[in-house]
Amino acid sequence: MTSSRRSILRTTACGFGYLALADLLTKAHAADVAAEHYESPLAPKQPHFAPKAKRVIFLYMQGAPSHVDTFDYKPALYKADGKSMGGGRSLLAPQWKFNKHGKSGLPISELFPNVARFADDLCIVNSMHTDQPAHPQATILLHTGSSRFVRPSMGSWVCYGLGSQNQNLPGYITIAPQGQGGAQLYGAGFLPAAFEGTPISGSSTGGLPNIAPSAPASVQRRQLDLVQAMNRDTLRRSGDNPQIEGIIESFELGFRMQSAVPTVMDVSKETAATKAMYGIGETATDTFGKQCLMARRFAEAGVRFIELTHGNWDQHQQLKQRHEANATAIDKPIAGLIADLKSRGMLKDTLIVWGGEFGRTPTAQGRDGRDHNNRGFSIWMAGGGVKGGMRHGQTDELGARAEVDKVHIHDFHATLLHLLGMDHERLTYRYAGRDFRLTDVHGNVVKQIIA
Amino acid sequence: MRLVPLLAIVLLAPAASAAPATREQLDFFEKRIRPVLVGQCYKCHSHAGEKVKANLLLDSREALLKGGDTGPAIVPGKSTASLLMTAIRGTKEDLQMPPKSKLSDAVVADFATWIDAGAPWPAETRKDAAGATAAAQASEYDRLERELWSWQPITDPAAPAVKNAAWAKSDIDRFVLARLEQGGLTPAVPADKLALLRRLSFDLTGLPPSPAEIEAFVRDTSPSAVETVVDRLLASPAFGERWGRHWLDVARYAESSGMTRNFVYRYAWRYRDYVIRAFNEDKPFDRFVAEQLAGDLLPARSVAEKDLNTIATGFLCVGPRDYVERNPRQSVYNSADEMIDTVGRAFLATTIACARCHDHKFDPIPTSEYYALAGIFVSSDEQTGIDRRRRGAANRLDQYDDDELIPLAGYKPDPKKAKSDDDTKTEAREAFRSFFSATRYGGGDFSKPNKPVKFLAMGVKDDRPADVRVLNRGEITQPGDSVRRGFVSIPAIKNPPTISPGQSGRRELAQWVTSAENPLTARVMANRVWAHLFGAGLVRSVDNFGTTGDKPTHPELLDHLATRFVKDGWSVKRLIKSIVLTSTYQQSAAFDKAKFERDPENHLLWRQNQRRLEAEAIRDAMLAVSGQINPTPPTASIAIDLPNIPLGVGGARFNPAELVSSTTHRSVYLPILRNLTPESLDVFDFADNANVTGQRDVTTVPPQALYVMNSPFVIRLSRAMTDRVAGAGLQADPARIDYAYKLALGRPATPVEKDRAAAYLQAFLRDPKAATSRDPYQNKHAAWSSLCQALMASAEFRYLN
Repeated sequence: MTSSRRSILRTTACGFGYLALADLLTKAHAADVAAEHYESPLAPKQPHFAPKAKRVIFLYMQGAPSHVDTFDYKPALYKADGKSMGGGRSLLAPQWKFNKHGKSGLPISELFPNVARFADDLCIVNSMHTDQPAHPQATILLHTGSSRFVRPSMGSWVCYGLGSQNQNLPGYITIAPQGQGGAQLYGAGFLPAAFEGTPISGSSTGGLPNIAPSAPASVQRRQLDLVQAMNRDTLRRSGDNPQIEGIIESFELGFRMQSAVPTVMDVSKETAATKAMYGIGETATDTFGKQCLMARRFAEAGVRFIELTHGNWDQHQQLKQRHEANATAIDKPIAGLIADLKSRGMLKDTLIVWGGEFGRTPTAQGRDGRDHNNRGFSIWMAGGGVKGGMRHGQTDELGARAEVDKVHIHDFHATLLHLLGMDHERLTYRYAGRDFRLTDVHGNVVKQIIA
Repeated sequence: MRLVPLLAIVLLAPAASAAPATREQLDFFEKRIRPVLVGQCYKCHSHAGEKVKANLLLDSREALLKGGDTGPAIVPGKSTASLLMTAIRGTKEDLQMPPKSKLSDAVVADFATWIDAGAPWPAETRKDAAGATAAAQASEYDRLERELWSWQPITDPAAPAVKNAAWAKSDIDRFVLARLEQGGLTPAVPADKLALLRRLSFDLTGLPPSPAEIEAFVRDTSPSAVETVVDRLLASPAFGERWGRHWLDVARYAESSGMTRNFVYRYAWRYRDYVIRAFNEDKPFDRFVAEQLAGDLLPARSVAEKDLNTIATGFLCVGPRDYVERNPRQSVYNSADEMIDTVGRAFLATTIACARCHDHKFDPIPTSEYYALAGIFVSSDEQTGIDRRRRGAANRLDQYDDDELIPLAGYKPDPKKAKSDDDTKTEAREAFRSFFSATRYGGGDFSKPNKPVKFLAMGVKDDRPADVRVLNRGEITQPGDSVRRGFVSIPAIKNPPTISPGQSGRRELAQWVTSAENPLTARVMANRVWAHLFGAGLVRSVDNFGTTGDKPTHPELLDHLATRFVKDGWSVKRLIKSIVLTSTYQQSAAFDKAKFERDPENHLLWRQNQRRLEAEAIRDAMLAVSGQINPTPPTASIAIDLPNIPLGVGGARFNPAELVSSTTHRSVYLPILRNLTPESLDVFDFADNANVTGQRDVTTVPPQALYVMNSPFVIRLSRAMTDRVAGAGLQADPARIDYAYKLALGRPATPVEKDRAAAYLQAFLRDPKAATSRDPYQNKHAAWSSLCQALMASAEFRYLN
C-alpha cells in the first residue's frame, strides 16, 4: 500500500507500464497488443483488512443543510423559539416537525418523508464538527482533509488504496460537481493524476461529450499509439512530471470509456417502475433522480467512488421555502437509490454518505434564515457496514455544538477508509520527503457505528 | 512564592526546547498526546472550548507552562513534578481529571514519557482567534499588523552577492541565484532557442510562433535576438488579448448574472474590450485600477476618454448576482459585498468580505471597517441592464431594461420605448427556440450581432451617497451604529484621503488602493505577472496575501519587483520584459532527479516550470496552426442578440456558446455566459467566474482526451491543417512532416519522429478500415489529417517546456 508512484515506475519499462514496442505501429492488431501490455494504475488492490464496503456513493449537500431542521431532533429548540442569545441573536425553532420512523424510532423531520421510510438503514451522526466556518475552506476540508494546502481528495485516496473494479471507467466519478473549491474537490493533489475524479455533466441527458469515437476502434487505436509514443517521449524528457503521466493515462482510459460509458449511461432498459422510484419524470425530482440512477449504474459497473452534488443549501434567508424545495428535489431520488441498491443486494457493500460541509445555527438570521455552524452538524450514512437505525453522538440541547462523542471530519475520513478495509494511518503516500495521509496526523475510527 | 517556580520554568523551557524536537517526538505528540488533550480536556481547557475552567488552557505549550489557578501544569523533563500528571493519575481526589472518567494506564504512561522528553510541541504559526476574547483579538490584530509580511512597507533591497556572477543578467537573477546557492542548488542550462521562442510566444501573446517567425529567430544570431522577439510580441495586439484575459479571470468576468435566473449582461463585452485595450496600450496599472474603481468620477480630457472611464467601472458589476432576492435593500448590500470581496482579492489579495458578519478571524479586519467600505459601495448604483426593482418576480421576464445601463456619447434612446414583447415564459421560450433554429449564424464566423449595438455600457454611478450602519451578523434587519465611509486601517497609510460627504468615496478608495504607501497593490500585481510567466507566484496563493495564505519564497525579490514596477510608472509591459529577459526565466524546464528530490515543487527555481497551456491558448493554437484563426476581433458579443429571457429559466437547455462553436475568432471573444461555458474552454479548466481567479486549476481528466480524439471541432481543424501542409509547396513527405511539426510544436521533427510519422501514414493507407475512399487523394488527406490531429492531441502541444 505504501508503494510510491516511483516504485511502480521502477517495475515497468516506462511510465505506466505501457510498453514502447518499436514495431507496435506496424502490427495489425495494435489494440490487442497494447491491451496485453497495459497495466492500469486503477487495477484492483487488496485492502489492509476485510472491507465492509466496496464502494462509496457520496451525496454532497453543497451550502450546508440545517441539521436542526432535518436529522438532529431538538425538542428544546421548539420551546425556546425567539429566545435571545445575546449579540442580537435569537433562537429560531425548527421549521418542520420531526416524527419517529421505523422499528428504531429514529426521529427525522418531515422534510424527508421518503428517506424516512429507510430509517432502520440510516446511521445518523449528530455530533459532526469541523474547523472552518466559511464555505470554501470547509468544503475543501470535507473533500480533502485539509483546508490550507492542495491535497488529494478522499475519492482519490480511495482509488489509490483500492484501485477500481472496472478498468474501462474512471475509478472516481463526480456527477455535476459544484462547490467552492473547484477542481480541488475531486483533484488528485500529489497522487498520480489517474486517481483524479472525472467530472460528468449532470444535464438531463447525463451524457459525456465526445464519447462517440471518430474512427473505427482499430484505426483510432493506431492513432492513439502514435500520440502515446509522442507522449512517452515528452514524459522521458520531462522526467517525473505527473501531469504528463496523467495525460498518457487519460488517453488510455478515455479510449476504453468510449465503449463502456454509453452502455452504463444507457438507461433505456431500466423499467418504468424503477425510473418512477427515483422520481424521474416528475419536475421537482427529475434531475437528481437521473443522477441517483446513474450513480447506481456506475456503482454496479464497479466504479469505486461516486459523488453527487446537490447545491444551494446555504439558506441565510428563505430557509423555509428553499430548504423545502431542496429536500423535495432529493428525498424521493435518494429513497429510490436506497431501495434499488437494497433490492439488488448491493446496499450491504455500498456505503452511502449524505451531508454538507457544516451545519446551520439554531439562532435565526433575519426572520427566515440560519447562519453557518461548524461546531455541530449532522451527516448520515447507510449500507456498507454501518449500523442502521442509530444516532451517534449528540449536540447540546439546542443543536449549537457537538458535545457527546464528537466526530471531526478527520474521524469521518478515518471511518470511511476503515469501512473500505483500510487503516487510515497506513494508507500513505510519500511526497516531498514525507508520508502523507488523508487524515494528516488526526483521525479516530468511530467504532460504535460499525456493524 | 509562585514567582520562583514560574521563573524556573521560563528559564528551563528554552533549555528544554533548545534541542529542536525530533520528528519522532512530534509524531508521538500528535499520535498519543494531542488526541487525548483534544478529546478529553479541550471542552473546559481551550480557547475553542465553551468555558475555561480553573483558568487553565491546554492548547499550547506556553499555556501548559503558564498553568492555571493551581500553578503550572507541567515541568518539562520532569513528569513527577508536573501537576498534570497528578491530575490524570487521579491520585488526589480534588484534582482528578478528566472529572468523570479515568485515562487508561497506557495513556498516563504516554504523558509521562512526553513530559520527560521535554514536552515537545510542534511550532504553530497561527492561532484560531475565533474563541478568543475581544481584547485578545485586538492584541492579535496588533501583532499581525506588526508581523504579517504583506502589511509591511515595500523595501528596495540591494541585490545579494552571488558566486556564479556570470549567470546573472540582472538583479532579478541575483535574488534567485542567491537562494539557489544557499540551498546548494544550481540553475538549469538555458532553454534551447526554439523552446524559448515557443515559450515567449505563448507567454506574451497566447499564440504559437509561425514557421516564418521560427526561421527569422534561428537566423538572428545577434545578442539582442531575444529582445527583438520580446519587443515584437509586446507590441502585437495579441498581447492584450492574452494578458487582458488574465485580468478578466481576476475580474471574474462574465456576460450573465449566473445564480438562479442567469440574466444576460448585454453590454459586459465593452468592459472586456476596455481591458484588452488597456493592456495593449500599457495603461499604467495604478491608473487602470483607479478607472475600474471610479472611472466615472475621474476627470476626462475628451468624450472618448470619459466613455472609456465609464466602461472601466463595469469591473465592479460583471460579477454574479442573484436576482431572486426580494428585498431591494438586501440586494444592494449583496452587490456591495460582492464588490468588496472582488476589490479586496483582486487588488489587495485580502479577503475583506469575511468581516461582513463577524470580525475577520484570521486577518486584522474588524466588522466596522467592512461597513466603512460597504458605505462606499452602497452609495454606488450598479447599472447592469437588469431592472433591480422588479427582482423576484419569477414569472416576469421583462426585467431587461436599457434605462438600467449607462448611456455613452452618441446614445439616442428609442423614441417609443417598446414594452418587451416577451411577457410570458412561453413566449420567451418560443423566442429562444426560434432564435436557435434560425440559420443566420449557422456555420458563420459570428463577427457581429444582428441587432443594433447601442451606445450603452455596464457600470456604476454615485447614488445618494451616505454612510451605512454596521449590520449585526450581516443582517439587514439588525442595524447597529453608523460608521463613516472609509477604508480598512491596515495597511496603515498616513493621511488617507478623506471622503467628501457628497460622493460615494470610490475615487478616494482608488487613491488609497494605489497610494505609494499601500504595500499590497504593487506586490500583488507583480506577483500575478510572475505567476503567469513561471506557472507559480513568488507567493503561491496569488489571491491571498493574508495570514492563511502562503509566504513569499523570495520576499526580497518580490519587493524588488514591486519597487521597480512602481518606479517604471506601473508599466506592466516593462515588468514583463524585465522578467523574460532574465536567465531565470530563460532556463530550460529539463528535469533533474537530484534537484527534484531536494526541491520537488521548484520553490527555488532551479528550472523553468513545465506548464500546461490555458484553455484559450490551446484552442487558439489549434486555430493558428491550422491556418483558421481570424485575428480580427469581432464586434460586440452575441449577448446583444439573445432574447429577453433569463438563461436560468428554461433557457439553460440551450447553450449559446454551442451556436458559435464555428467561430474562428480568438477564444477571449467567445461568449462567456455563467454556467454555459463553451466546451472548448470548459474541458481545459476555464476560470471559475464566480470568484476572483488568479490561478487556474490544471486537471488531467479523460474528457480532455475524448475532446481531442473525437470533437468535430478538432477534427475539422486537423483537416484544415492538412490543407495548409499540402499547400506549403513541399515535395517530399519528410519535408511535409517536418513542416507539420514546426507548425504544431514549434520545432523540426527528429529523424525518429519522421520515420514514425511516415510509417504511420503508410499503415493508415494500407488499412482498408482507415482508407475508405476510392479516391487516393482523399485517402491521403485522411491519413494526413489523422497525423495532424495526433500532433494537436499530444501532450507536447499543450505544454510549454
